[in-house]
Amino acid sequence: MIDQSTVLLFVTVALASAVEATEALTILLASGITRGWRSTFEGALVALGCLAVIVVVVGTALINYVPLFALRTVVGTLLLIFGLQWLTKAILRQTGFKAPHDEHDIYDKEVATLSKEAGFRGKRDSLAFAVSFKGVLLEGMEVIMIVISFGLATKSGDQLGTASLGAILGVGVMVTMAAVVAQPLAKVPENYMKLGVGILLTVFGMFWMGEGIGVQWPLGDAFLLVLVAIVLLATLGLIAYFRRSHQRKTEVHT
Amino acid sequence: MSMGKAVWKAVKSFFVFWKDFLVGDSPVLAIGVLIILGVAYLLRGSDVLAPVVTIILVLSLITFTVWQKARARRGTQRG
Repeated sequence: MIDQSTVLLFVTVALASAVEATEALTILLASGITRGWRSTFEGALVALGCLAVIVVVVGTALINYVPLFALRTVVGTLLLIFGLQWLTKAILRQTGFKAPHDEHDIYDKEVATLSKEAGFRGKRDSLAFAVSFKGVLLEGMEVIMIVISFGLATKSGDQLGTASLGAILGVGVMVTMAAVVAQPLAKVPENYMKLGVGILLTVFGMFWMGEGIGVQWPLGDAFLLVLVAIVLLATLGLIAYFRRSHQRKTEVHT
Repeated sequence: MSMGKAVWKAVKSFFVFWKDFLVGDSPVLAIGVLIILGVAYLLRGSDVLAPVVTIILVLSLITFTVWQKARARRGTQRG
């Protein structure tokens, strides 16, 4: 039977993967259109191959050699750091202290940079290869870190399949959308998705870090939902407070 | 470039990559989480105190970080 924590895990990985895929696709689109598709696809494929090797090697090593409590402590700590980083940026974006993430803007900057660079634009383009390889590898590293963490840190330690399916769904939906619209996925509510992922990563990080070192959460796995509610309410409170504060300061200066 | 220098550069790049990846531009968050980990470990014997204090510390850390970043950005905008 599928329990609440499995659904929450699936949704978190799918959302996080979708956000990272959106960012990687913007880079690929800019590279493909300005420098050519062949080397762009080659760079992306080689990066995906590297990521697959990392998942197999790191995943196998972690399953076989690291005790579950240690894994959960490390994974929980890393997820909590990651989640709080996402959440901080998302709150600053929602309150006006940081410019919202704009895929069109990033795409334009990427196209301008790539167009300026001279180089061979025939069948093989080393710059297109390097840009797409780096883009997919860096964004993909975050996805596989989340997949491996979520796949191995659960009580049963066998959710790697669920986490992988979530990632495939998240990336798959974004790739399909990008292929259909053939332009940066600016209409995806990325800033809200990042806020949601930040909350979920923070919750899972806090929960697993605690479990790893022996903290007894009341209600067991069901407490994850309570934590989601607590962190969501706190986030909404912070957004409301800092948005007002930003507006007040802006009014004073104008 | 000699072999030794190349290896040193690769090792240095590896650690810089992971530092950027995990710590990013918010060392306060990373340090704060490690402190929370330590406090939660010390309180792990208490069924009530450990979860409550962990949650309060996490919420305090996010509040402090947002406040700190907002203040820094306000300073930059004024400057």
